[in-house]
Amino acid sequence: MRTRDIVIRAGRSLKQAKARTILTSLAIAVGAFTITLSLAAGDGGRAYTDKIVSSNADAKEIIVTKEQPSAQKGPQKYSENNASIATPFGSTSVLSQDDINKIKKVNGVVDVIPNYNPQVKYITGENQDKYVATITMFSPSVTLEFAAGSINGDLLDNEIILTEEYVKALGFKNSQDSIGKSVDIVADKLSAPISNPESKTFTYTIKAVSSKSGLAFRAQSSLQVSENSAKSLYNYVNAGTRNYNKFIVAAVRVNDAGSAETVKNELTNMGYFAQTAADILGVVNTFINVLQGILLGFGALAILTSIFGIINTQYISVLERTQQIGLMKALGMRRRDVGRLFKLEAAWIGFLGGAIGSGLAFIAGIVANPYISKALDIGDINLLIFNPVSIVMVIFGLVIVSVVSGILPARKAAKLNPIEALRTE
Amino acid sequence: MIEVKNVTKIYGKKDNAFKALDDVSFTIPIGASVAILGKSGSGKSTLMHIMSGLDKPESGEINIGGRNILALSQKQIDKFRSRSMSFIFQSFFVQAKESCYDNVSLPLEIADVSSSKRRKMIVDALTAVELLDKKKSRARDLSGGQKQRLAVARAIVNSPKILFADEPTGNLDSVTGAIIEDLLFDYNKKNKITLIVVTHDPDLANRCDMQILIKDGKIDRILGAKK
Repeated sequence: MRTRDIVIRAGRSLKQAKARTILTSLAIAVGAFTITLSLAAGDGGRAYTDKIVSSNADAKEIIVTKEQPSAQKGPQKYSENNASIATPFGSTSVLSQDDINKIKKVNGVVDVIPNYNPQVKYITGENQDKYVATITMFSPSVTLEFAAGSINGDLLDNEIILTEEYVKALGFKNSQDSIGKSVDIVADKLSAPISNPESKTFTYTIKAVSSKSGLAFRAQSSLQVSENSAKSLYNYVNAGTRNYNKFIVAAVRVNDAGSAETVKNELTNMGYFAQTAADILGVVNTFINVLQGILLGFGALAILTSIFGIINTQYISVLERTQQIGLMKALGMRRRDVGRLFKLEAAWIGFLGGAIGSGLAFIAGIVANPYISKALDIGDINLLIFNPVSIVMVIFGLVIVSVVSGILPARKAAKLNPIEALRTE
Repeated sequence: MIEVKNVTKIYGKKDNAFKALDDVSFTIPIGASVAILGKSGSGKSTLMHIMSGLDKPESGEINIGGRNILALSQKQIDKFRSRSMSFIFQSFFVQAKESCYDNVSLPLEIADVSSSKRRKMIVDALTAVELLDKKKSRARDLSGGQKQRLAVARAIVNSPKILFADEPTGNLDSVTGAIIEDLLFDYNKKNKITLIVVTHDPDLANRCDMQILIKDGKIDRILGAKK
C-alpha cells in the first residue's frame, strides 16, 4: 500500500473519532506548550542578557580586580603591598597604582581606567533641594537611551548626564527644558579634620537626560560625568586618605576585541581576576540555562504522561476496529502496512498536539510579551522570542515520540488474525 | 482450475483435537459458480478460509492455476489475495463511517493501484451495483441491501479471478437477497470469474453450476461436477 494512501486513511480514521483524537492530542499539547514557552523564554532571556552586557560592557574592555582573597584558604598573611578596602562583604584586595602601571605594560593594553566612582555629598540646582547622588564615569561604549539631548562621541569635562528622575526633583519643567542648564555637585574632602570640614562645589552643564532603559544598569539612577571629571572629583574627595589611589575595579582597554582573551589570560597569569564581556555574559546565561532546563523538565514530564495517553487511545482504537483490520488483512493488506497505518495515526495525534501546543504558546507569548516587559520594567524588550526552527523541531520531535508510543498498539493490530477478527459481529 | 487436495484441518490439541476438515479433495473449473453447502459447524467456512489462504491446514494443497498457494510466503499470499481474490460477507463489513467511494477504494489501495486509475474503476464498480448516486454518502446511511451492494462493488472493483461469498444473502430479506444473487451470478457469467458461495440455503445453492455438500468436515456429495 502506498504511504500516501496510508497517511490519508490514518487521518480519516482520526477524523471519525474526533473527540478522542483531540483529547489525546491535548495531553501532548500541554507538553508542547511548556516546551515551546521555555525555549522562547530561554532564547529571549539570552538575547536580553546579551543586549544588556553588550550595551553595558565593551568587547574591547576587560574588568580587572585583584584576585579575591576568598578564593584562598585560611586567613591571609599580611603584606605591605597587599592593601585592602573594607566592604560590607568583608575586606577586598585592591589595585594600587603599581598594579595599574604593571597592567598598562601588558602587550595589547591601550589604557587602564580605574573605576573612580567618587562619593559626593549631594546634587542641587539654583534654589533647589539637595539630593543624594551617585556619580559614575561615562563610557562611550555603553549604550544609553536619551529622553532629551544626545552625546556625540565623548562627554566634555564640564558636562553631565542627568537621569529622568532628577529632572523633576531639581525643578526643571521637563527633560528638554533642563538641557544646557547647570547643576551643582558638592563633595566633602575626606582627609579634612572633623573640626574643620572642607567641601567644594563643582558645577556642570546638563548635556543630556538618560531615560530608563531595559538595557542599562548604570542609567537607572546614577549621574554620569566624563572620566576626567570623575577623576578630579575623586582626587578632591580622597586625596590624603589611606585609600587614595586604591581601586577595587579597573577597566582595561585593549586595542581590539580579538585580543581581549589573550590579555585576559596574561592578566590571570599575573595574579589578577579578569573578566571579559563574554565572561560576564556566560555567568548570566548559566542562570538562564538552569531555569530553562527546569521548565523543559516539566514539559518533558507532561510529554511522558501523554505517551501513556497515546498508547491507551491506540489500544482502544485497535479493539474498536478489529473488524476493519480483519477486512483489510483479508483483502490482502500486509502486516507491515497495517502496523504503519496505526503508527501514522499516532503520528497525526502527535503532530496535532504539537501544533496546538506550540500554536497556543506562540499566541500566549505574543499576548503576554508587553505585559511581562511592563511588569519587569525592561522597556520595549520582548522576553519571549519564538524561533520558527525550534517550533518545527518541537512538533517534529513530538511526532517521533508519538510514533514510538504507537508501536505497541500497531504491533497488536498487525498481528491480528483476520479470521478471528471477521468472526466478531 | 482450482484444486483442493487432501486438506485436513484440526482445531485444538491432543484430547481436545477436533477435525474441522478431514481429507477434503475436489476440483473446480475456472469460471464456474460453486456452492459450498452445509450446516453451521460443518466446516464450510473453514474450507473457504483455507481456499483463500487466510488459514493454513495441517496438511493438503490448494492449487490455483497450477500453484500451491499454501506454499507461498505470507507476503506473496497477501499480494495474491489483493490481486486475484475478493470477499463478500454475511454481515457486509462495510466501513460505516466512510463514504461509499472510500469503501470501494480500499481494495485498490491495498493492491497498490495509483489514484488516477482508481477513479474510473470505482465509478464503474459503483455503476454496476447502481450505487453511483450514493458515491459520497456514508455507508451507515445505506439500507441493508444497499450495504451488501456496496460490498459487491468493493468485491468486483479489482476485477478478481475468484470471488468468495460467505452467506451473502444471510442478513437480507428474500427480495433484496435475490437482487444480490442476480448481481453475483451475472458478474460470474459475464466476466468468467470463479464464484464460490458458502451457504446453507439450498435455493441459492441450486443456482450454482456445482454444489459441494459438506458434512462433519467431510465431503458428503458433489453435484453438477463435469468429468
